[in-house]
Amino acid sequence: MTIDDVLERIRTQMNLEAETEYELLEEIRCHLDEAAADARVRGLDEDQALAQAAARFGVEEVGRELQATHEGWGTLEGIAAAALPVLFALLMRWLVFAPDGTFVGWQEMVGRPAFWAVAVIALLVPLWRFPRRRYALIGWTIFWGLSVIVIVGGAVRW
Amino acid sequence: MGRSTISSDSIDQMRKGTTTLAILKLLVDADEPMHGYRMIQELEDRSEGIFAFNEGLIYPRLHQMEHDGLLNSRWEGEPGTRRRKVYVVTDRGRRQLEAEMEQWETFRRGMRLLLGLEAA
Repeated sequence: MTIDDVLERIRTQMNLEAETEYELLEEIRCHLDEAAADARVRGLDEDQALAQAAARFGVEEVGRELQATHEGWGTLEGIAAAALPVLFALLMRWLVFAPDGTFVGWQEMVGRPAFWAVAVIALLVPLWRFPRRRYALIGWTIFWGLSVIVIVGGAVRW
Repeated sequence: MGRSTISSDSIDQMRKGTTTLAILKLLVDADEPMHGYRMIQELEDRSEGIFAFNEGLIYPRLHQMEHDGLLNSRWEGEPGTRRRKVYVVTDRGRRQLEAEMEQWETFRRGMRLLLGLEAA
């Protein structure tokens, strides 16, 4: 038996995003490595040490618990990641159009601190909220895309 | 006479309710980042062997605590070497610890009064 065999037994209990599973298994690998090393110091051979580390870890139960704990997080993050750029783009549109629907003009728009505040907050909120930075960067790109569409395409009126 | 121990069922019930508190207290006392394996060792040492943790079950708890904003985590170590995920308590975690310690102390005193182990 190897650590990879133990990790595979845990992995079969999970059905999560590949990246999430990879991170979980890497954390567990570190734990099993250290536990097995301690067991070897106490006089067990390689196989016995890993077997003891795996038994103390509680392989199947942990796989199920991790699945139960992480299930749905990705979906919620996905919904939030999709909603935030839309919300910020709507906010940006509200900032750059006067109440009568006239466009305030590019020069005035980029001179407004509120414009830059929204742009920065649209990046900082997802960076703070999501554990993966690429979610934030993708969301920010979508935010700018939507903003350009609703601002430049001034004909778009909701 | 040997020291009394607690049944595994009781320990399991208590574990579910108290692991969060134990982890928060451990990390605040240590005042340094810790990885899961070290936390297990420290918690077992602290309980003088009365609580034998199912080691792996600390991870779902840690992840839930991080999701709830009680802990932050980061990976330590260079890619290609042995990397460890370590955890630290957030401000929200410290506030929760204070609140739970207070509740725990009230519960403990209430039980001692109830069982006649302490005079009112």
